[in-house]
Amino acid sequence: MDKIYSVSEFIDAANELLAFEVWIEGEVSGFNISQNKWVFFDLKDKEGAKVGCFMGAWTLREAIEDGMKIRVRGVPKLYGKTGRFSITVQEIQLVGEGALHRAFELLKAKLEKEGLFAPERKRKLPRFPARLGLITSREAAAYTDFMRILNNRWSGLEINFFHTQVQGEEAAPQLVLAINYFNKEMPNLDVLVITRGGGGLDDLAAFNSEEVARAIFASKIPTLVGIGHERDETLSDYAADVRASTPSNAAERLTPDRAEILASLEHCVHLLEQEMEMKIKNAQNRVHDAGIIFERSLGERKRRLDAAKNNMIMLINRLIDKTTTRLDFMMRALKNLNPENILDRGFSIVFKNGKIIKDAGTVAPGDILNVKLSKGRVRSKVI
Amino acid sequence: MHKDAKKFNFGEAFGELERIVEEFERDDADLEKSLKEFEHGLALAQKCKERLSEIENKVKEIKAKFGEAIGR
Repeated sequence: MDKIYSVSEFIDAANELLAFEVWIEGEVSGFNISQNKWVFFDLKDKEGAKVGCFMGAWTLREAIEDGMKIRVRGVPKLYGKTGRFSITVQEIQLVGEGALHRAFELLKAKLEKEGLFAPERKRKLPRFPARLGLITSREAAAYTDFMRILNNRWSGLEINFFHTQVQGEEAAPQLVLAINYFNKEMPNLDVLVITRGGGGLDDLAAFNSEEVARAIFASKIPTLVGIGHERDETLSDYAADVRASTPSNAAERLTPDRAEILASLEHCVHLLEQEMEMKIKNAQNRVHDAGIIFERSLGERKRRLDAAKNNMIMLINRLIDKTTTRLDFMMRALKNLNPENILDRGFSIVFKNGKIIKDAGTVAPGDILNVKLSKGRVRSKVI
Repeated sequence: MHKDAKKFNFGEAFGELERIVEEFERDDADLEKSLKEFEHGLALAQKCKERLSEIENKVKEIKAKFGEAIGR
């Protein structure tokens, strides 16, 4: 009799025989994620045959659902605890545009729900960027297109170029690395530009991968992503701060147009000159107005001065008149009081030794008296 | 030349020019101050124009090796 195995021994021996890597293509059914850790599904084909698949959730990169056609790379294994046979999956590839598109939709919905595409998280790019990081393939038409438009539009830019694959298996990890490199080594860049020309869904797979979309979303440097032709949409586009439709459009969105800015500069200069002229004219007008006001006030003062002068002359004249009249009156009065006028009326004045005699007692016989008459004098002697 | 180019920030200069123009249109500052701003504005515009006509874009390629860098 051949060797009798214990169950465990049998399972070990079987697994030794089964330890080879295999690619299997089929349709997904019974897809299930357990405790966010373990992924279970079956692969089946048209003949109704099916095989169980198992993998860790951390190795699942693609969005999978029932009915999707996929290829898995894995190792067949018999599990001792359940007695079940299944493929331990290491890698999944989506097959055909349908599966790719569906996976795209699923992942898009998931990331959208997480807020990776939220408009309120989008940052504005600086109006005049000076330093940028550029991530694309050196061989791609995208690079040439981007640089051509950029050089036509703007100058003085410092472009730090990081060459990566933009399709194939290496593309996604290289893109993530480049994004992380710039964020770590050159965090002060104004913009990070990620661009690639058009292609099928398969060609753009890296830009639809979760890891690239997340790296773009996480970038501290504002991102500008332009992938594909006009109509192409990728998850990287959605996760970017600013989305351009093509590599050329990315250059247009990044920089202002030299001709436009030159025109704008001319306009500024024109406005300044116009305003300056106006300010000078205004100032001149103000000086002119001030002159008129000054002259006016001068005229007014002169008039007032003249009026005051006339007034004063009038007052003085009036005073002179008044004084003259009074003087006349006084002269007349004085005239009346003059004793000589009394003499005219027949009175006479008696002097003794030049003194007027008013009392007969002051004269003695023999005194010589002078009598003044209206006309002439009489010398007389008291008897 | 290179040093000057680095010192001169086009965005800042252009922004300042726009601010001067805006103030000029709105403000009724005294003539002497306006004249200073005017001259400053013209100088900024001139610098911006020179900058636009002279300098080209410079490309520096990053020489990071994927094998080494991935490890970090």
